[in-house]
Formats: sequence, structure tokens, C-alpha cells
Amino acid sequence: MPPRPKKFICPFERSDIKYIDYKDSKLLAQYITYYRSIQSRFHTGVSLKMQKQLAKAIKRARQMALLPAVRYEK
Amino acid sequence: MQKYEIMAIIVSDLDEKTAEAHIQEFIIGKIKELGGNITFEDFWGSRGFAYRIKQYTWGHYFVAQFEIAPTQINQLRTELNIDNKILRHIIITVDKNAPAPRKYADVKKEYEAQEKATKADETEAAEKKIAKREKLSTVKKTEKPEVAKEDEGDDVDQAIDKVLDDATADL
Repeated sequence: MPPRPKKFICPFERSDIKYIDYKDSKLLAQYITYYRSIQSRFHTGVSLKMQKQLAKAIKRARQMALLPAVRYEK
Repeated sequence: MQKYEIMAIIVSDLDEKTAEAHIQEFIIGKIKELGGNITFEDFWGSRGFAYRIKQYTWGHYFVAQFEIAPTQINQLRTELNIDNKILRHIIITVDKNAPAPRKYADVKKEYEAQEKATKADETEAAEKKIAKREKLSTVKKTEKPEVAKEDEGDDVDQAIDKVLDDATADL
């Protein structure tokens, strides 16, 4: 039998992050798409627990204009 | 008493000094009036928005943490909403897992240092790639032309021989 593939680990679990801050806009910017929507768990491999926190943080950052909500064509 | 965190944006019409004075008077003053207790305070300075808010493109950001009775928080919210100089504000409860608050300037410096390090690494990697390519290209250049010249010379010699042979036969 071929060796079992390694389980994908959540990027936040790997770097030992337990709380995602809404003020950390550089970290949050990695988890939004080209059209500035929240990227799905399927593509980033974030665990469900952290995805909930991440979505909340991104929405708070949008409220305070730290992150864009839509993409503007200049 | 519960721990809360507040972030507020002051309009860019005010200078940095007057904005700070406004914060001291109308945000921190009000929290203290309502029986609050401020534990952390950080003035970010001016910062651009990700999108326009009431035709403003930038503003002064301010973050603070405080302890206050939960019954007072609605009063604080209404009073902040009335203020014209405060564009937006957000009040959240501090999470159990949240680390100790840090100054924005320190975090910014750390990020800049990281960026510098990554850039230096990238440039090093790019230089190595270029050096490798140059080595390969020099080897190829030195090898190829010599072989080609010899071949050409042989071909020409053979052709001349053939022509000469043919010519002699015809004559």
C-alpha cells in the first residue's frame, strides 16, 4: 500500500496563533481574493474554528476602512 | 466591569495635535465620566482609508482598552455617535485568548524589518540564478562555435574536393 498522505495543517495552528486581531490588516489581506471577498477554507486550508474568527476580523477591519470591501478600477 | 476595546477615526480636518486633544476630551473624558478605567492607550496617527468615508480619504486612528460596567456602554455609544468629529467608531469586548495590546508603531517597525529581510533574500536568490545562467551560457558559447567551425571547414573542404574532382573529370 502507498503511504498515507499527510494531513493538511491549518496555517494558524502551525504558527501557534490562537486569536486573530482585526487591526492586523497585513495578515488579513492574505485571506481575501482578487475581488476582495473572503477566501474560502477550501483554498487556504484554515480550520473551521479559525475561519469563523478570521471572517469576523475581516468584517471588523472593513468597517474601520482598514481593508477594502470591493475592488475599485482606477 | 468588563474589558472593552475601542477604535475611533477622527476627521482629517483637524491637525494631529488638535485630534489628540479632541480624543482626550471627548472619548477618554467620557469613558472616565461614566465610571470607566483606561488600561491601554495608543494614537496611531494619520492613515489612509481603503475606501472613501463621507468624501474623506484619510483620518486619525485611535485605539484604547478600558474597563467599564456593561450597563454604561450604550450611553457611550450614543454620545460617540452624536460627535461630528468622530467619523466612525467600533467598541468590542476583549477576547479571552487575545494577547496583551501592543503599540502600532512597534508592530509597524517589526513588519518593515520582516519585509526588508524577505527582500534581501529574494535579491540574493535572483543574483544566484543569474550567476548560474551566465555560467551555463558561457559554457555553451565556448563549446558550440568551435564545433561548428570545424564542421564548416570540413564541409567546405569536401565540397571543394568534389568540385575539383568533377571539374577534372569534365575536362
